[in-house]
Amino acid sequence: MGTAAKTILPAILLFSCASKNETNSPDRSSQKQDTTIVATTPNPYAVVDLSPMDMSYFPVDYSKRKMAHDISTPPVMRVIYSRPHRQGRVIFGSLLKYGERWRLGANEATEIELFQNVSIENKKINTGRYIIYCIPYENKWTMILNDDIYTWGLQIDSTKDLMKFDIPIKKTSVNFEYFTMVFQPITNGAELVMAWDDTEARLPINF
Amino acid sequence: MKPFILASLLLTSFFFCDAQTDNLPALDKSPMDMSYFPNNYPVLKIQDKATEPVLARVIYSRPQKNGRVIFGDLVEYGKVWRMGANEATEIEFYKNVKIDGKKITKGRYTLYAIPAQDNWTIILNKDIDTWGAFKYDAQKDVIRTTVPIEKLNEAVEALSMTFEKTDYGCSLVVAWDNVKARLPISIK
Repeated sequence: MGTAAKTILPAILLFSCASKNETNSPDRSSQKQDTTIVATTPNPYAVVDLSPMDMSYFPVDYSKRKMAHDISTPPVMRVIYSRPHRQGRVIFGSLLKYGERWRLGANEATEIELFQNVSIENKKINTGRYIIYCIPYENKWTMILNDDIYTWGLQIDSTKDLMKFDIPIKKTSVNFEYFTMVFQPITNGAELVMAWDDTEARLPINF
Repeated sequence: MKPFILASLLLTSFFFCDAQTDNLPALDKSPMDMSYFPNNYPVLKIQDKATEPVLARVIYSRPQKNGRVIFGDLVEYGKVWRMGANEATEIEFYKNVKIDGKKITKGRYTLYAIPAQDNWTIILNKDIDTWGAFKYDAQKDVIRTTVPIEKLNEAVEALSMTFEKTDYGCSLVVAWDNVKARLPISIK
């Protein structure tokens, strides 16, 4: 196989992967081309956002597993957030100032919904819907759960803060282009993994 | 051959730039979006301009037309369509409403549609937190209602959902390609 073929092959694979996603395949591979289209023609109803929304469940891929009848218990929780791009900028300590409140996303305030009671650092958190946001520092993030739901991220009412948790951060070897929130299982629960630019933080949630 | 190699290189570089590692998800090509009624409720709320409480919201993913003919072709007439992409489209009511005269208890529902040439049958279904319409279960339907459609002169590139205020409450407006449908939601 020549160099040209080696170069072309991933491109072809990429194409085939993309076209597979295009049809009804529920496969949402993490290795697909970013083809989000920012509309060139005006859309009178709702423009496609530059920082698109996304949703993560725990158990991971809950909705796909439910569709496959692979799971019969209700979901534990989900997070709905918007995904700003890094776009070559330095995010932490620059675009986002240390010690200042950050909406942990873009646009609408980031929402975490608990479908059952959970606990964080041994504090019980009841079933329900909450806003989650963050104050980043150089060596830690302060995570805040707040009751001011259905709001816009730039102005979260801090008098409705419910709980705060300090968590460590770690520097990553890769730069994450898009802010990412996902759950990963741990013993006795799951971690809410948050990653953007060169920083990753994990909030352990027990249930 | 050379332009092809160049194009491939370009594509692969895109691929490496944007693929996220560590099994964290990349950006979706049919991005998710959310609409509230009253429209822009979260923005109105922070501006202290919300004059009525939040009534409904819809969470859906936005496939693109990409030059294709959508209705009657990509989305076949007479078949259940997920009215979105990826996770099933979710509509939530924060108080009891009425659709086609039937009481709909507040809560979350999955939305589907069966498009036909002249109308859409819109379905609210109790099977929430699921994916697409691949395992659609009609036994979990809460209501099916047929609504007329309107043809648009200008194609809408990305599937769009928004709410419009009406005398009796609001309508969920769904538009894609050259078709627009309205689902009337009554609060009276």
